[in-house]
Amino acid sequence: MKLFIKFDINTICSLYLKQNLEQNNINFTTLGFGEIEIEDNLDAEALENLKNKLVPCGFEVVENQKSVLVQKIKDAIIELVFMDDSNNYKSSVFLAEKLNHSYGYLSNVFSEVTYSSIENFIILQKIERAKQLIIINEMSLTEIAFLLNYSSVAHLSTQFKNTTGITPSAFQRIIKKRRENLK
Amino acid sequence: MQKNALHILLADDDEDDRLFFKDAFEEIKIQTNVNFVHDGMQLMEHLLNPDNKLPDILFLDLNMPKKTGKECLIEIKKTDHLKDIIIAIYSTSSSEEDIEDTFIQGANIYIKKPSDFNTLKKIINEVVTVNWHYHTSGLNRDNFLLRLK
Amino acid sequence: MKWIPNFNSSNSLRVIFVIAVFILLFLSSIAYKHNQDLNESSKVVMHTYEINIQLERLMSAIKDAETGQRGYIITRNARFLTPYIYSRDKVNTSFITLKKLTADNPEQQENLQKLFKLITQRFVSFENCLKYSDPKTYDKRKLDNHMFGGRILMENIRFKVDEMNDIEKAYLKKRLKIYDAEISLSPLFSISLFLVALCFILLAYRQISRDFERLKVYNKKLLISGGLMSESENIGKFSTWQWDLDSDKIDYSDNQFRLLGLEPNSFTPNKATLLKYVHPDDKESVAQAIDGIVEKKQLPFVYYKIIRPDFEIRYFKTTGKLLTDQQGSKILLGINFDITDEHLLNIELQERNKELEKSNKELASFNHVASHDLQEPLRKIQTFISRVSEADKSVMSESAKNYIGKIETSAKRMRVLIDDLLLFSRTNTTKKEFIKVNLNELLDNAESELAEIIEEKKAVIKTNRLPKLSVIPYQIEQLFINLIGNSLKYSQPDVEPEITITSEKVLASDYSGILDQSVKKYHKIIFTDNGMGFDPQFKETIFVLFQRLHSKTDYPGTGIGLAICKKIVENHKGHITADSIVSKGSVFTVFLPD
Repeated sequence: MKLFIKFDINTICSLYLKQNLEQNNINFTTLGFGEIEIEDNLDAEALENLKNKLVPCGFEVVENQKSVLVQKIKDAIIELVFMDDSNNYKSSVFLAEKLNHSYGYLSNVFSEVTYSSIENFIILQKIERAKQLIIINEMSLTEIAFLLNYSSVAHLSTQFKNTTGITPSAFQRIIKKRRENLK
Repeated sequence: MQKNALHILLADDDEDDRLFFKDAFEEIKIQTNVNFVHDGMQLMEHLLNPDNKLPDILFLDLNMPKKTGKECLIEIKKTDHLKDIIIAIYSTSSSEEDIEDTFIQGANIYIKKPSDFNTLKKIINEVVTVNWHYHTSGLNRDNFLLRLK
Repeated sequence: MKWIPNFNSSNSLRVIFVIAVFILLFLSSIAYKHNQDLNESSKVVMHTYEINIQLERLMSAIKDAETGQRGYIITRNARFLTPYIYSRDKVNTSFITLKKLTADNPEQQENLQKLFKLITQRFVSFENCLKYSDPKTYDKRKLDNHMFGGRILMENIRFKVDEMNDIEKAYLKKRLKIYDAEISLSPLFSISLFLVALCFILLAYRQISRDFERLKVYNKKLLISGGLMSESENIGKFSTWQWDLDSDKIDYSDNQFRLLGLEPNSFTPNKATLLKYVHPDDKESVAQAIDGIVEKKQLPFVYYKIIRPDFEIRYFKTTGKLLTDQQGSKILLGINFDITDEHLLNIELQERNKELEKSNKELASFNHVASHDLQEPLRKIQTFISRVSEADKSVMSESAKNYIGKIETSAKRMRVLIDDLLLFSRTNTTKKEFIKVNLNELLDNAESELAEIIEEKKAVIKTNRLPKLSVIPYQIEQLFINLIGNSLKYSQPDVEPEITITSEKVLASDYSGILDQSVKKYHKIIFTDNGMGFDPQFKETIFVLFQRLHSKTDYPGTGIGLAICKKIVENHKGHITADSIVSKGSVFTVFLPD
């Protein structure tokens, strides 16, 4: 039988992180997603070890402040896009409030670090969510467009196409056929 | 951005295309490590060789002798330790059916070979950027589909 | 079989005839009776008059005796006694006769007896008169008495005779009356019956002659249709056979023999002969089919080969049906077609088809591969040109830079040509899947393809709702791209292009000159722009492949775009027309079947 498994990245990552740090007898406190405070002071070698353990799993140990902020911005955006009543929030307001900086400042730091803009990232995330929703196949494109705060299906289609190069319906088709192939 | 250089592998039998590719990658800001193979069989040998580091992104031409790009694509997607490689089809064909078909077979990106060098640079820049986003933002690789003209 | 007309007069005819015969018998019996009655009545008359005569004879005999006696008395001449003597005999004879004649009438018999008595008494009186008139025994008184008495007796006798006559007369009258009554009725009765019988016979005659006429007509028709059938069998190269399942007799039409290569009626057909001429390869299937037909009442078309006596092989197609007529008899009707010509033609056609398909496929792949493979070197040229950086150009001579520029232009042109050619070949060759789509979606896609130019030229596109049609989606999208693209390309400089797209449903009959009438309704989609337009005298030629109205330096174009449009519209069994007014704009009208 066929099962769809939804997983919560947060839980998985935290769990793994915990396992790894405990293995190495490192005491830590979790400050939030992606942020831990290590109680002990690690020397370079220990830090290097830690990085080596974590990097292969997709973890990146970021020490740079700005990079940290960018990561926070990204997390906030993801939160915004993936929450269900995101229509009520204007992204710039939301981010400014959540991260306690002006939107302009956030925008600059983001562009400096990533060479890409917040707007682009938001779009990327929205399209990503649209892809997920399309795959689950329980909502129509119109409903998805509405949920993601697009003014119309056409608007969603256009942005989808601009971002990925293909139309949402083509995407749907391809995913469907991929599944059939796997059978 | 990436601390480590991005590993790029191009499989293309055309010498000129390989040259363009190499030059384009040299001119973009991102640090990359580009390797080449000349045909399908060479590609599979390279990938299956445990000594070789797997590429972050594989650019795959469809029209190759000995083994076509499509055959390689199918084989790669069937091989456990290879199926997670991001694959960008790099081809001259613009037939809708071909394009959709490669996506269905598991390709992540489809690029139509441009006839202008600057366009090529722009394209690979975008590919690398988007790939980086996927890499760092926890986006689902299975849904990573991108088509560039 | 219902087509045999039902002559139901046969029953009514029988009835009529029986009635008529009965009437005739009746009539003849009446006539016979009539005859008898006449006979009887004349006999009765005769009888009465016989009696009359006899009675008169009696009277006259007695009168003779009286006269004789009188004469003798007067003259005493014995000669006068002769009648007197004879009279007695006469009386007796008459009496005997009368007795016989009145044997059936007791009353008369009685009267006769009385008469006899009277006569006897008279004769006694005669005797007495004679005695007493004789001079020897003369007695005047007794003589007078007896004479007188004799006269009274005579009178009595006369009375009696008259009475008897009267009785006879009355009797006769009575009988005659009866007969009269009977006879008078008969003629009337007979005539009316006769008339009735005549009516019936006339009716019957009318019916018979009508039926006869009908029979004649039907017969004629049958003959004609029989003849036509035979002729049509001959001309159409088919034949029929009939198999009476009850009597197991098979009848071949003439042409059946001829189709088998034989003379009509050259043999008596039976079950075995149905298979005799069938090709050995097909004997089994044909036999099976024939067996199956009795059960299933119908034979689907059976295809088989036959071998004629001259060893020629012909291809046959046979079907049969079981027919049951009104009387319940089952007849199997079989029809054979000699399809040799069609079959051979078919085979030829199939082969030609295959060849065509093959050549088509080759052409298509040639087309596609050629365009495709041509793109490669072209792309290289263009890419390498683009590699020539500004830095490189700055150290080149003017002419070298110029040449590079020209190479670039030509390469671009070639690219466009190849792209268009590729499109054109794809329009022809890729499988044509018709899907019902909303044309508005395709229009949106087209617009987004042209988004850059639309924005650049600040073009405005107005459409009203396009219908949902069964089309090849990518082709219609291409159609829209080409038409809108053209409008954008040939827009008037410094004028913002305005493109209007409208759609309406029209009847094919209104455009009988240009639209295929087998489809009733079409959708008419009109693309109007405010571009430069073109000279309307070219409104047909612009659709011709490679035809251009401008030089390639003025406006880039391959001359393929509109040819592709035309091909696409033709693929959809529609039509496209163009019209224009120079410097005002152009109108492209696309008809797509509903």
